[in-house]
Amino acid sequence: MTLPVHDTADHIYATGLRNQWHPVVPSSFVTPGAMRKVTALGEQWLLFRRSDGTLSMLADRCPHRGAPLSLGKHLGDRVACWYHGVEVETDGTVSSVPGLPGCNLEGKKLVTSLPVREVGGAVLAYFGDERHPEPAELTLPEPLTDPEVDAILCYAEWNGPWRFAVENLLDPMHGAFLHHESHTMYNGDTTAKFRIRETDRGYFFEKTDQRGVNFDWVELCRTGVDWVDLTIPYPPSAGPGGPFGIVGMVCPVDEDRTGVFFWRYRRVRGWQRDTWRFLYKTLIEERHWQVLEQDRVMLEAMPADADQRENLYQHDLGVVRLRRMYRAEAVAQASPA
Amino acid sequence: MTTTWPYLDVHQSRTHEPTPYEYKLAATLEEVFTKEGHELADVVRGLNARQVHAPDGAPWTEESFRAEMNRLGA
Repeated sequence: MTLPVHDTADHIYATGLRNQWHPVVPSSFVTPGAMRKVTALGEQWLLFRRSDGTLSMLADRCPHRGAPLSLGKHLGDRVACWYHGVEVETDGTVSSVPGLPGCNLEGKKLVTSLPVREVGGAVLAYFGDERHPEPAELTLPEPLTDPEVDAILCYAEWNGPWRFAVENLLDPMHGAFLHHESHTMYNGDTTAKFRIRETDRGYFFEKTDQRGVNFDWVELCRTGVDWVDLTIPYPPSAGPGGPFGIVGMVCPVDEDRTGVFFWRYRRVRGWQRDTWRFLYKTLIEERHWQVLEQDRVMLEAMPADADQRENLYQHDLGVVRLRRMYRAEAVAQASPA
Repeated sequence: MTTTWPYLDVHQSRTHEPTPYEYKLAATLEEVFTKEGHELADVVRGLNARQVHAPDGAPWTEESFRAEMNRLGA
């Protein structure tokens, strides 16, 4: 187990698609020997890390009376519920019921344990439903695995639906307006025509007449985890290495909250890599943050029914496509097999 | 590590607040990249011309600049 299969399509659409991987939190949020309570896909979870670094993710619910395991005690390779001391192993098996030794709960796998991977400094977990407990094949974004590319993660938590954050990424034209005063997106036309270009893993949504000037294209990739790829030019002050790219992922926390993961990456090695990282830490990260804050301010101010009362135009084809795809999948996941 | 929602941290890649030397070096590097070019020789020449030297006061060489960036950017 897993997430229940009786959820409605509306609930799935609101809290995130099942049967795929999603990012949860940065790896650094759960240190060796520590536990951390997290919310994802509208459910409560416990991240549990052994002292050797091994990470596991359990439903934050004691199988005995439902108390949160996250209030319990880290016992090295298992967690003991605070309420009645029931001990649960990292695979979800009850190892001990101290109040009633030999109790029939012992030895049973009663707690959901999700498959986890750590990628580029983030925890990814597979959220299968009862019909799809086995993890989907996961192909990682190339910019996070290519040794010629250096990537730095930025994580932030926004008060808004997860899909607004994804839609924002499938809407490159906002760069020329919302981010017009930024250090990277001050150039280029404020009018454009867009097209959708299919790929075997998703689609590009791109300007037909401008590339390499602003936020001019984005690729939606569905490779077991949903992510976007895009590039944005750097000014000459950022030194050698050309534009920076972004791998973006979104964690549906619950209906109203979202975790956003942006890996800023650049094709740099040697002194060029080191110099970019030095400038990034010292000066550039803060400028990137200001740009991200513009997105946050706008998205958090959007009314909850923003996507119910719209008048869309040609620039919104990428968003329309996204919604149809996600909505159809939510409906399919809610339907009986 | 904070556990309160929302996590909104401007600086996630730093291990420390940059020193005045690091700030000055970074700002000068941006100027050099803008005005002099992107080659290592441009950078060393540009920094030395502005008398923004290594912490020991010596003019930069390509080797010393590589080593310092490796220390500061790793």
